[in-house]
Amino acid sequence: MESIGRILLVEDDPKDTELTMTALEDYNLSNEVVVASDGEEALDYLYHRGKFQRRSGDNPAVMLLDLKLPKVDGLEVLQRVKADENLKMIPVVVLTSSREERDMVASYKLGVNAYVVKPVDFHEFVNAIKELGVFWAVINEPPPGSVRKK
Amino acid sequence: MTQTKPLLPKISLVVQRYGLAVSSVAVALGIALFLASQGIKDVEFPVLLIAITLTVWYAGVGPAIVAVVLSSLAFNYYFTKPRHTLNVDPSDIPYYAVFVVFALLITWFAAVRRRVERNLLESRDQLQHEVAIRTQQASLLNLTHDTIFVRDMNDIIIYWNRGAQELYGWSAEEAIGKRSQDLLKTVFASPTDDPIKPAQAIRNELLRTGRWDGELRHSKADGTEVVVSSRWSLQRDERGNPVATLETNNDITERKRREDDIRGLNQQLERRSSELEGTNKELEAFAYSASHDLRAPLRHIVGYTELLQKHSSAAMDEKGRRYMTTILESATRMGTLIDDLLAFSRIGRAETRETMVSLDQLVKEVRSEVGQETEGRNMTWKVGALPDLYGDRSMLKLVLLNLVSNAVKFTRTRPSPEIEIGSSDHRANGTVVFVKDNGVGFDMKYVNKLFGVFQRLHRADEFEGTGIGLATVQRIVHRHGGRIWAEGQVGVGATFYLSLPRP
Repeated sequence: MESIGRILLVEDDPKDTELTMTALEDYNLSNEVVVASDGEEALDYLYHRGKFQRRSGDNPAVMLLDLKLPKVDGLEVLQRVKADENLKMIPVVVLTSSREERDMVASYKLGVNAYVVKPVDFHEFVNAIKELGVFWAVINEPPPGSVRKK
Repeated sequence: MTQTKPLLPKISLVVQRYGLAVSSVAVALGIALFLASQGIKDVEFPVLLIAITLTVWYAGVGPAIVAVVLSSLAFNYYFTKPRHTLNVDPSDIPYYAVFVVFALLITWFAAVRRRVERNLLESRDQLQHEVAIRTQQASLLNLTHDTIFVRDMNDIIIYWNRGAQELYGWSAEEAIGKRSQDLLKTVFASPTDDPIKPAQAIRNELLRTGRWDGELRHSKADGTEVVVSSRWSLQRDERGNPVATLETNNDITERKRREDDIRGLNQQLERRSSELEGTNKELEAFAYSASHDLRAPLRHIVGYTELLQKHSSAAMDEKGRRYMTTILESATRMGTLIDDLLAFSRIGRAETRETMVSLDQLVKEVRSEVGQETEGRNMTWKVGALPDLYGDRSMLKLVLLNLVSNAVKFTRTRPSPEIEIGSSDHRANGTVVFVKDNGVGFDMKYVNKLFGVFQRLHRADEFEGTGIGLATVQRIVHRHGGRIWAEGQVGVGATFYLSLPRP
């Protein structure tokens, strides 16, 4: 089997997390998912802080980022990542309920790699997650220094 | 200056003037000779002098000289010894000389007197003329509605026109001779509220440039205050020394009051608009969180119901499965509702980017978007010549998409559905575009409900829909400064018209 990149899922809603994981499970992509439940935890993971102090040194192959997050919101996380020399190569996909133009524009201006609105319809949702997972964790060749399981 | 009447009685023709000289001497000579023949002696002297006097008076110096010469000769010929010769007896030389000298003196005096008199009369006429002009000027100043008064360098009022009387309430008799500051209590409009400094500055400017204009407040006779727009001009004498200030004032109290009113209204307007802006921001925030927060639980309902269906479908009976399908349908419908509502609210918030838009192109795009729904329905399209519209492309497309989708939807029950899109150019209304169908139509008594939010004229099981589409259409058309209206008949069809102003 081809290699699978590590997915960092930043999502505060456990239900959304569960639905996303369910979708990824269907395609055997869930093993390499790390969940951060708010912006701070996401940054902790990326900077090896807090409970992620002892994780291996590599960056995730992709970060799926919700925008509306407690503590540090998604746009700020995105900004910090894209401003950091060591992190800016991580592909970031915004995964949000917001179809608002200003969120979209702000995200692209900060250098997001993709912007996906979570579909209400479950089949579409599963499809979207699956395609995201397959594309970013399997098809896409991640930048050097990413966690990738053979 | 034109002279209308002669200064003195004067004979103008040369012949007449010299004729007078000759004839007056002749008459005088005749009288003298006649009287002499009657034995009255020594009248020739005065009579001839009278003739010379008359000539100089009425005919001027030239004829007078002729008269002097003639009378001297006649005097010599007739009245000095030896008579009837032009020789003069030595004993009569003094008498003759006295006559000639007298005659010359009279001529000279008369000429001088005449000149002096003429000068005097000329001066009088000049004066009269000037007085007339001044009087006319003064009455003109009095005629004008502008307030005009003059004050000397000691601030004493020396002229006061009728406009001043009308504005301030004092007559010229009351005002002239008073100090202007005492009467009017002039206050200069100054930001510092210091009445001394601006007065000094204005005086300096007046002396330097000869004029000043600005705004003042004056007190009137009745004690009220008046705001005037004031113009000052400095009057100087021949040597350039300032002598008086002419002040022309216009009452702008009313204008000022209106300006204040307008300023007040503007402030009110600003406050209101900032309030509105605040409300708009709140609405925006509401719409934003609605977009985000309402959709999430909905997605969960759908997601978990789907999972439930997948995991426990076998354990459920027919009823349970139908319940789950209903939950999914309702949740999906709610999702559509939220999306439509957000799209509707976005129209009010989004900025429009207006360009010329090809309606022809828009219709093509819209037809391809509804193509799936019309497949296999034997739909007849009648698309006429379409103009270019001026507006926001994506919004206008939304309008057309809504109208065409409606036409497609409401002709669903027709065996041979027909949709017509066309336009007509009415001068008064701008461009009018219509979308006509032969669908189920509507009752004209509900036409007012057609464009309201959540207003529906059909049951949900007849025709699906959120009741937001036409409200969105109307909102877009109104934002473009246009108009939308509809005609319909139950069972026959409906026509939607919209007119947009030309750019």
